[in-house]
Amino acid sequence: MNPPGHVMILASAGSGKTYALTDRFVALLAAGAAPERIAALTFTRKAAGEFFDEILRKLARAAADDAAARRLAADVGAPAFTRGDFRRLLRAVTGSMHRLQLGTLDSFFGRIVRAFPLELGLGGDFELLEESAARRERRRVLRAMFGHAGGRPDAAQQDFIEAFKRATFGREEKRLGDTLDRFIDEFAEAYLEAPDAEAWGGAGRIWPAGAPWFEHAAPRARAAAAAALHAALPWAELNEKQRERWDRFFAELPAWSPGAELPKPVGYILGNALAEWPVVAEVRVERKKLALPPAASAALRRLAGGLVGAELVRRLEMTHGVFAVLRGYDRAYDRMVRRTGRLTFADVQRLLRPVALTGATPDEGALFLDWRLDARVEHWLLDEFQDTSFGQWKILRNLIDEAVQDATGARSFFYVGDVKQAIFTWREGDPRLFREIFDHYNAAAPGTIREQRLDRSWRSGPAVVEMVNRVLGGAQALQALLPEEVAARWNREWRPHESARPELGGFAGLGHADDETGRWAATRRVLEETQALGRGLSVAVLVQKNATAAALADFLRREGGFPAVAESDLHVGTDNPLAGALLALLRVAAHPGDAAAWAQVRMTPIARVLAAEGCDTRDALVQRVLGEVHTDGFELTLEAWVRRIEPMLAVDDAFSRLRARQLIEAARSFDETGSREVAEFAAFVARHTVREADTVGVVRVMTVHKAKGLGFDLVILPDLEGRSLTVRRRGLAMKRAADRSVEWVLDLPAEEFFGADPALRAYAEAAAAEAAYEKLCLLYVAMTRAKRAMYVVTEPAGTSSSRNYPRLLRDTLGESWSSGDPQWFKTVVAPAVPPVSPGEIPMLDHRTGSRAPRRPARAASTWGGPGRGQQLAQLFAPRSADGGPGLGRAVHALLAQVGWLAGRAEIPAWIAAWREQGAPEAAVGAAAACLQAPDLAEIWRPCDGELWRERAFELVLDGAWVSGVVDRVIVEREADGRARRATVFDFKTDALPDETEVAAAVARHAAQLLVYRRAVARLTGLGESAVKGELVFTRLARRVPAGGWGVTQTEVSDL
Amino acid sequence: MRTGITRHFLPWDRPLLPQAAAWLAAAWSGGGPLDLGATLVIVPTRQSGRRLREGLAELAAGRGQGVFPPQVVLAEELLAWPAGGSPVASRLEEQLAWIEVLRTVRLDEFREVFPVDPVERDFSWAARLARQMLRLQRTLAENSLRMGDVATVAGGDWPEAGRWRQLAALERDYDRALASRGRRDPGAAGRATRVDELRRRGVTRVVLLATPDPPASALRLLEPLTHDVTVEVVVFAPADAAALFDGWGRPLAEAWAGRPLLTGDERQHVQLCADPVEQAERVVAGVRRGGIPEGALAIGVADAEVTPVMERRLREAGVAVFNPEGRARRRGGFYHLLAALGALVREPDFAAVAAVARCPDFLRWLARRQAGAGLAVAETLAQLDALHARHLPATLEAAGALAGGFPAARALLDAVADLRSGLTAGAFPAGPARALHGLLADRHEDDDTVRADATAWSELRAEAAAAAPAFPELEPAAWWEITLALFGEETRAGPKPAGAVELLGWLELLWEDAPHLVVAGLNDGRVPEAVAGDAFLPEALRERLGLRTNAARFARDAYLLAAVAAARATTGRLDLLLGKVSAAGDPVRPSRLLLQCDDAELPARVQWLFRDVEAVRPGPPWRRAWPLTPATDAPIPGMSVTAFRDYLRCPFRFYLRHGLKMETVDPEKTELDEADFGTLLHGALEEVARDPALRACADAAVLRDALLGAFERVARRRFGRELTLPLIVQFESARQRLARAAEVLAEQRALGWVVEQVEWKFPANFAVAGLAIRGRIDRIERHAGTGRVRVIDFKTADKPVHPRDAHCRRARREEAAPALARFEWQGESLVWTDLQLPLYLEAVAAEFGADATAGYFNLPKAVGETAVWEWVDEAGEWRAAARRCAEAVAAAVAARTFWPPVELAPEHEAERFAGLFHRGTAASVDWRGVP
Ligand code: SF4
Repeated sequence: MNPPGHVMILASAGSGKTYALTDRFVALLAAGAAPERIAALTFTRKAAGEFFDEILRKLARAAADDAAARRLAADVGAPAFTRGDFRRLLRAVTGSMHRLQLGTLDSFFGRIVRAFPLELGLGGDFELLEESAARRERRRVLRAMFGHAGGRPDAAQQDFIEAFKRATFGREEKRLGDTLDRFIDEFAEAYLEAPDAEAWGGAGRIWPAGAPWFEHAAPRARAAAAAALHAALPWAELNEKQRERWDRFFAELPAWSPGAELPKPVGYILGNALAEWPVVAEVRVERKKLALPPAASAALRRLAGGLVGAELVRRLEMTHGVFAVLRGYDRAYDRMVRRTGRLTFADVQRLLRPVALTGATPDEGALFLDWRLDARVEHWLLDEFQDTSFGQWKILRNLIDEAVQDATGARSFFYVGDVKQAIFTWREGDPRLFREIFDHYNAAAPGTIREQRLDRSWRSGPAVVEMVNRVLGGAQALQALLPEEVAARWNREWRPHESARPELGGFAGLGHADDETGRWAATRRVLEETQALGRGLSVAVLVQKNATAAALADFLRREGGFPAVAESDLHVGTDNPLAGALLALLRVAAHPGDAAAWAQVRMTPIARVLAAEGCDTRDALVQRVLGEVHTDGFELTLEAWVRRIEPMLAVDDAFSRLRARQLIEAARSFDETGSREVAEFAAFVARHTVREADTVGVVRVMTVHKAKGLGFDLVILPDLEGRSLTVRRRGLAMKRAADRSVEWVLDLPAEEFFGADPALRAYAEAAAAEAAYEKLCLLYVAMTRAKRAMYVVTEPAGTSSSRNYPRLLRDTLGESWSSGDPQWFKTVVAPAVPPVSPGEIPMLDHRTGSRAPRRPARAASTWGGPGRGQQLAQLFAPRSADGGPGLGRAVHALLAQVGWLAGRAEIPAWIAAWREQGAPEAAVGAAAACLQAPDLAEIWRPCDGELWRERAFELVLDGAWVSGVVDRVIVEREADGRARRATVFDFKTDALPDETEVAAAVARHAAQLLVYRRAVARLTGLGESAVKGELVFTRLARRVPAGGWGVTQTEVSDL
Repeated sequence: MRTGITRHFLPWDRPLLPQAAAWLAAAWSGGGPLDLGATLVIVPTRQSGRRLREGLAELAAGRGQGVFPPQVVLAEELLAWPAGGSPVASRLEEQLAWIEVLRTVRLDEFREVFPVDPVERDFSWAARLARQMLRLQRTLAENSLRMGDVATVAGGDWPEAGRWRQLAALERDYDRALASRGRRDPGAAGRATRVDELRRRGVTRVVLLATPDPPASALRLLEPLTHDVTVEVVVFAPADAAALFDGWGRPLAEAWAGRPLLTGDERQHVQLCADPVEQAERVVAGVRRGGIPEGALAIGVADAEVTPVMERRLREAGVAVFNPEGRARRRGGFYHLLAALGALVREPDFAAVAAVARCPDFLRWLARRQAGAGLAVAETLAQLDALHARHLPATLEAAGALAGGFPAARALLDAVADLRSGLTAGAFPAGPARALHGLLADRHEDDDTVRADATAWSELRAEAAAAAPAFPELEPAAWWEITLALFGEETRAGPKPAGAVELLGWLELLWEDAPHLVVAGLNDGRVPEAVAGDAFLPEALRERLGLRTNAARFARDAYLLAAVAAARATTGRLDLLLGKVSAAGDPVRPSRLLLQCDDAELPARVQWLFRDVEAVRPGPPWRRAWPLTPATDAPIPGMSVTAFRDYLRCPFRFYLRHGLKMETVDPEKTELDEADFGTLLHGALEEVARDPALRACADAAVLRDALLGAFERVARRRFGRELTLPLIVQFESARQRLARAAEVLAEQRALGWVVEQVEWKFPANFAVAGLAIRGRIDRIERHAGTGRVRVIDFKTADKPVHPRDAHCRRARREEAAPALARFEWQGESLVWTDLQLPLYLEAVAAEFGADATAGYFNLPKAVGETAVWEWVDEAGEWRAAARRCAEAVAAAVAARTFWPPVELAPEHEAERFAGLFHRGTAASVDWRGVP
């Protein structure tokens, strides 16, 4: 067969990306590739699952139907393939399901790290930390860092404190914990990305050729410049307003110190001076240009530069400080978490980045994958490539190099994605890679990678496509609204879309509402008017934030009566009174001084439950609930309390019952952590979120980000408000070189300080452009989810000049716009198939036909094992420290070896034999003492009875199944072999200090001995009174008889 | 070829258990007890052994007899039999030996194993790697291999021979490390001696009973026996299927690989569900309808992830469940007691103290220590928290030193300290044992799980005691770490509750004889289990070494499925459930076993099993479980000046805080809060102001030294010497503020302000509208020149604030503040937010005259902004307005008017009310008090 070749596909939304991918997979199979040699990697596990299902269904259809087989054969370039061939492929794929390299990038990387722990410096296996676990680890690390200052902080801590002071200068220095937490949230990834001190606030990196700002940055220099300026200003030429401006400028100037906000009058003059930079020959004040005499010009230039410089110096210092703080934290984290084998996905990636992966030949120092992963990958399929990060690509690069450079052409590389849907750049997605890779390989050998485009939408009908084309293909409007580079980049990749499903017809429209209330009401109206759910249509409402999704879904449920599901993260442990009260209950139990929690509990019906349970005092409650948590963990404790509280809920309150269950489930995953700390549990629950399951027949309310990859018949977009499209992402400025290495990091000051600095301005503009591009992508994703109908509701753009979505919609569509049939839904008929009903397992009818149930398992007898009811502490008794329960067992084992003892003379031989066996000396001593004790002699004295030693038995007594082991039994028999009577000796190795304890022990063991006697009676065919029992206390060398040999049954039972 | 091995087939169209019991008892006349004592029966799982013994007891009971049972063992247990020679190393010793080797060998001599040096070659690195090495040894032992055998057994031509030669060398070091202590590795123990053990036990007959997957090494052990005793293999399958099994009854991989399973209409038996919850719900729905006699239905769960969901759902439905697998000891209370003690030994920090203090066993022990005095548990724990909140001690020792004001907490701390010295006294296992003995003395435990836990621990302790002399250099913390890890890993099953439904694992199903069997979790990767990729033993190497491969697992599981299905084919029922996604929501695939069918059937099966399935579970709309019904009669006899702010903010929250005393505890507090910070600064300022020598001092440097000195004393008194990192940072900030405050104080002195009163208390009879008002004024100053009096309040918030801004604000468009807080001022609508300074002036009027003024001394974080800001109110109009408001508030409080509440956004809610209100304050409460 032909070599498959390397392909890049730019696939617009809905254009059949999955179709192309699955075709590719099948084509590779058809060309003879083994399924396990094809690596198909996606971003989400869900996508990987769907991809796999689709491959199998495609093959199954072709295997079942000739026409489908012909079509698929043509699609995958194997025209000769028949149903039978596809069935063969289907079998091949299902047969190697467990070996397929089909999943997420993360799991692929995880497998590699697992296979090479020692090569990567890990000790053994590791645990992958999910979000909540990672957060717990962070708390642990911070606690440890905070805890151990001792009398005086050590050098590292002193450094840390210094760094912290620098990092927070002029901001927040009082609350270390909160501030650190925020730092870590915002900057920890950046630190790990560039753990290079030079890059952080390194002026030499930012301004390799130097910058004019620092010369006059010192306070004294600034003061001097201010004085000079004051002296040199042409005061006489100023009008009153200008004079006032300058006066206020000079008045407020001394109050400012770097890091603080610039007083308005100072900012005013500074801004206008910088506008003239670098030649500040004149300055605009009160709308009039003021020509400056040379001395004033020079002084203002010094002063303005100095102000900028002072602020920058402070920012550089703070950046150093942030770096040092993060380094301090990360060192502790590394020691406590990563090196003990707990890694996040990001850690896994970072481990792999510096090493070389190779499939075929192990080079020096490279990881040789084929052997340890049981797989040789020959073909690479990468999905959603626009979301691939540079770091991920770096890991894959040399593997893919091998494939692309393979001279035989037997290996291949295929990647697909859409740079217009790059909405994950905040998660390091790097859409520019798409083209760079193509250019890279093709520069070496033109035509290496083929480019294909898919612009026909198999998802959306013509009306929806028309709206998309008008808004996102509106090149001129985009140019007018967005930075030039952004518009150009967008327009370059833009191709008009076309609907491949004209029969869908449909509708798309833009409408307006004055505020959020109006937009939500409009959403509800659309749902009511179209009756989309009733018509069996899938419906989604897309918003920008999770919180909005939760609130809007609830609005639709409450006000509209719609079955709406927020596919956002619901805080099930904090959003309702039941969970709140349960947590309060736990809080009181662990922290009885928490008067608020105690009061809260008593304001709820739980108070009545507590009274009924007899724990309505704090003491009782602490002992009860704390005990339960300690013994059983949070899951079982909460489960038990929910059961008690449940009757207090309204009969039809399904919501609270659901939340109770969700809280218990959260408790279950918390219990996995092994912690019993209530405060930690409460913190966990506060962060714990639950997603309502994907379901049919509901209105799905979700963020655009979550809707990516999905399609719905009807989509409503009621939340396209918001900020300007060109707002750069907040956080540290991080300048990257073309190879994505971090050039510098800076806590960027306010724009008024850096507008005149080319390096910083260029950075800020580029960052704003990136943000704008991503915003366009977000709109594109939102607008391409609809199949039949899309309703966009925004607030009127009006005369506002902000360059936001409403404005873009107005500029491309006009004040109001629609396309298609507003009554589109009338023609949609509800599908005939009834919704799937939750199944149930048909139970066997046991009265008719089927086999009889097996006899129920017998309850095991409840007399328990040896030692039941004994003091627990005995297990830890100091005297048994040399052997503990092991000693008891050893003594039993030694005594079991002894048959009859003809005389004391034999004892030394036994002792010697036991020592020979290596038995512990303590056990030998104890056993020997038993043999020697005059009181026990009868046990060992030879007789003509039959002797059982350590004999196990099983039987059914009083309907219960009894198993046991008798230590020593002597069965005396008649001449005809029938048993006459029997004696059961039961050895006890308890340490018993006094008579009371002996009496207690006898009572404790009575039931057991009785069972043994009855068992022996059954096994020998004797009546129970013919079996005598004796407890033999080995440490006391003493026997205590218990019934038998003529004792009546009733007497025995009384025991 | 083996001799003396016979295979028997028990047909699978009937349940296995009764057949197996009957087969074993075939030679029994029924006259006396059924004596199988000389028979060794090998079974696949503990549970199956248990059932076999029960089945035999049952069989004998049918004739009024009992049983001397066979010696029932798992194949793996055979290998653990004592083997003569020097004693075998315990689990602990094995680990310790590896740890020692890993920490001492020269890594650069083992570069194929350790291509790079670990970042830190510490104990924890070695401990984790040691576990991996042990796992590796155990896996190899499946086929009686050791690391040293791998390079030779695997043959030539494979990429990692060198690495394995080095592993072999490491293993030799490990063997030497054990040998030098008179121990040896269990895997290295000779086989022959184990055979002797068999003979010693008087075994004359060995039966491998329905065990489809015994480790090869166990079989190797049985082989030589065939000369002396009969070895019988019992296969649960019809005799005509003999070709599907090898001589040991193991399903042959080739024979099962393509064999169709579940022929017929699989859709009747296979239910594709959305997720584990739906699988559980389907089972529950069936069980719930009732009428199922005990023993008629058995539930198997092939995917361990489904088990907890199934357990919980069944329990919710009122069905008792029993999981014979049990729970890891790590989940139990005894482990937590030990873990808390271990943490206390490792590092006696306050968190460890707090954890120990909440162990019930500790509290019981504490109560015994205080016998007579009686232990108020709640009070003790509350004091411990209060001590922590007030003094933020880092360690047990620091806490003890600061516990002066908390007698109950002090007693607890003393007890913890004693406990710790007990735990750390002496060598590892002995010290802790003594301490535990004391802790648990006189506790009679009837709970079997606790007993079992305690027994298991003491066994482990005995192991440690045996190992300790040989590893003298190991720290107690390391001992704790290893033993706790070993202990936590063990699983324990409690007793089965009567009538409980068992949730059987996949491998147990063969022995289950209920006519209706439902198996959930039939997803690929779970059944058959598949291993892909490994750091040491990838599939290719496993094959070469004769270890269990994916193919062998597949054959075993295919056989198990065939057998459980066949046993119910005519008179029973088998239902198989599988999920589309896992509990975490990730897609999972149907088991490959379900695709074992004729090729012609395959496409339809694939389309059926890989179809889209979605759960049908829209969430119900939000609903309030109940409104809160607070007691309305909490007394409020008077109020403090600062409480006015609370009332103005929200009357209802005022009541909750000052009437119901709702204050919360933050056990995770690690640093000063606003109030603590203020108190510290106040303390320093007060001390200096009281010093008569400094009253008139206007020298900033002297004042600064005095303030900083006072601060050190105040801080030391409250927080001791051992400070945590955040406190160091915060103290630093406090010092900066005080240093600057000294300059401002000096300036004020220079301006003529002299301290008149410090911490001046309101007169006891001071009242507003009849309500007693308490208060204390930071400082009262008198001007040396004019004699004018002013009251000063120190403010230590981050931002400086003007008194007027702190006391009132402009009304909002939709103002929610209570009506009595509002007032008009020069045509503007304003709202009182605080009445502190005006009330101060009212309070001082009698003693210092009505014309005193008031102001703030701000000590903000931007120290440049430290300054005194006076509230100029020449005409007294503000005061008059404030007085009216204060009277209204006092009257309202006296009249107990606390309703309606002010609606606050959740992010503005105070910590003490967190989690109290949902969707509106008024809506959350059913208020029965005065409106
Ligand atoms: S603040 Fe001072 S007096 Fe109060 S408890 Fe602490 S050390 Fe004792």
